[in-house]
Amino acid sequence: MRNTSKRHLLPGFGISMGFTMVYLSLIVLIPISVLFLKASTLSLSDFWQTVSDERVIASFKVTFSSSLIAALVNTVFGTLIAWVLVRYHFWGKRVVDALVDLPFALPTAVAGIALTAIYAPNGWIGQFFEPLGIKIAFSQLGITIALIFIGLPFVVRSVQPVLQDFDAQYEEAASTLGANSFQIFMKIILPAITPALLTGFALAFARALGEYGSVVFISGNMPMKTEIVPLLIITKLEQFDYAGAAAIATVMLLISFLLLFLINFWQWKQAKKHRAVKGV
Amino acid sequence: MGISINGVSKKFHSFQAVDQINLTIPTGDFVALLGPSGSGKTTLLRLIAGLELPNSGQILFNDLDYTNKNVKERKVGFVFQHYALFKHMTIFENIAFGLKVRPRKFRPSKQEIKKKVYELLELVQLKEVANRYPSQLSGGQRQRIALARALAVDPEVLLLDEPFGALDAKVRQELRIWLRELHQKMNITTIFVTHDQEEALEMADTIVVMNQGKVEQIGTPQQVYDRPKNAFVYSFLGRVNEFRGEALGTVKDGCHLSDNYVGYLRPHEVHLSTIASDNSLPVEVFHVHSVGASVRIEIKRLDNDTLIEAELSADEYRRIGPFYKGDRLYANCDSIVVFQHQHILEDSLPKTVASTI
Repeated sequence: MRNTSKRHLLPGFGISMGFTMVYLSLIVLIPISVLFLKASTLSLSDFWQTVSDERVIASFKVTFSSSLIAALVNTVFGTLIAWVLVRYHFWGKRVVDALVDLPFALPTAVAGIALTAIYAPNGWIGQFFEPLGIKIAFSQLGITIALIFIGLPFVVRSVQPVLQDFDAQYEEAASTLGANSFQIFMKIILPAITPALLTGFALAFARALGEYGSVVFISGNMPMKTEIVPLLIITKLEQFDYAGAAAIATVMLLISFLLLFLINFWQWKQAKKHRAVKGV
Repeated sequence: MGISINGVSKKFHSFQAVDQINLTIPTGDFVALLGPSGSGKTTLLRLIAGLELPNSGQILFNDLDYTNKNVKERKVGFVFQHYALFKHMTIFENIAFGLKVRPRKFRPSKQEIKKKVYELLELVQLKEVANRYPSQLSGGQRQRIALARALAVDPEVLLLDEPFGALDAKVRQELRIWLRELHQKMNITTIFVTHDQEEALEMADTIVVMNQGKVEQIGTPQQVYDRPKNAFVYSFLGRVNEFRGEALGTVKDGCHLSDNYVGYLRPHEVHLSTIASDNSLPVEVFHVHSVGASVRIEIKRLDNDTLIEAELSADEYRRIGPFYKGDRLYANCDSIVVFQHQHILEDSLPKTVASTI
């Protein structure tokens, strides 16, 4: 018999929660646990040897630093784009708005080839940097540019709705109190959009960590210099070293999870600050 | 600080929000901008604050042209209807905001800011909430903090946009008295917007009655209530019964008016009697309800079936009453105020009489 003593106001908790668990298990948890299982076939010393290999460490450094810089750049310029799209009316605004999502739609390999073509030493843009001794394609700078490209929509799309809903009365209040435009942005608007900024940053960062398609073309894939972790994993797979690939992926996954968890935690603390705390 | 508004107009697209307004507010005055929604009162307040710029006309502060000065330069304190407290700052930080954003040269020291904030918190009687966030305060407390924040920058004019509109009746009443006292203490030129005639009558030294972007009348509460300039002002300030014109030889005959005239009679001016007299109007009791010290009686005219509201003191009702539905009475309209057929705003009329024609 069904137990009716505990009744929820909204019906369907059991079925929706059950569905969520099954769905998450099939799509996320089971594939990831298989990864861990595969990695556990290695002995601890083998595991350590695989992941502490000089080339692997170098690739971790390249991947994480490029992704971090790309996410930071996207945070700054994504906010700017969101600002322009929300606050100003100009001809062709809808086209620009649609343009923002393009990096999502384009196959990443296409993006990689296009970026390489223009940023290569003899490319449209690369040729101007070559005489200055700046190499864009086939360097970490190129990797970062590719990661900026693919992560662009995240910050724009998470900040835009928050900015849209931001009540003008707060800015007006600040201006009647004597704040200038810069102070209003820094002290009033920025704190309000910070949770959304963090979300956008975390998404762009996570996306950049896993990016493969666009980077392999522009990076040049030089071991120790411009080799990213996903590439290294593919290389191992091609050599039928499944356990080694799983080991690197496991470390990558753990670090990513930890970083994203920290960002979420920070965001949660930020959000908690302005949430209504009743009955205090 | 005295404020002069000379021929100010403001248009939003095709909507004329404020239309050629002239207004002079002396230093230290406590002014209510009173009018129905859409009458342009909030726009006028925002024009004074510099939150909107006029399409034409001039705004002078102490005889200096401030028309094109921005909000920052005007040194006005502005209190918003929905408080606009910064959610991510504590109450202390909210009040200190105006002082902290000053250029370094004019910024008070940390100690001075702290002293000032606590003085203001004391003024608004909320010393204990300094470290809380706005979401932890009640509506009335938030509005007092909003006021303290506006006062922190030593404004020469205080502007309040429907300051008590979002509060419940009891808190509103308390804050009215409190704000009135505060104004007496500080003597800052204060302008507030309200659609509540009772609030305007109770608090202001000067009432500016507005309608459709224009000023209808300026005067003390007594003046606008007792000597309304036109039909709109009369009908907007307090409850009224309206009497429309009929085909008649003379302007007024008892409760009957001629075409092109409109008459108003406040409920407490409807004199009821059980005996017919000259010029009295036969009516039938429709509904009787008691509201505290007075009794409201809805009566139906027998000649055209429209409803009239009458109000008696409880004592008087005991003397001539009680009445029950269907009783025959006679109403006397001697106190009726008659206006030429103009300045009539259908929407502002009580529903019970709006259908009369």
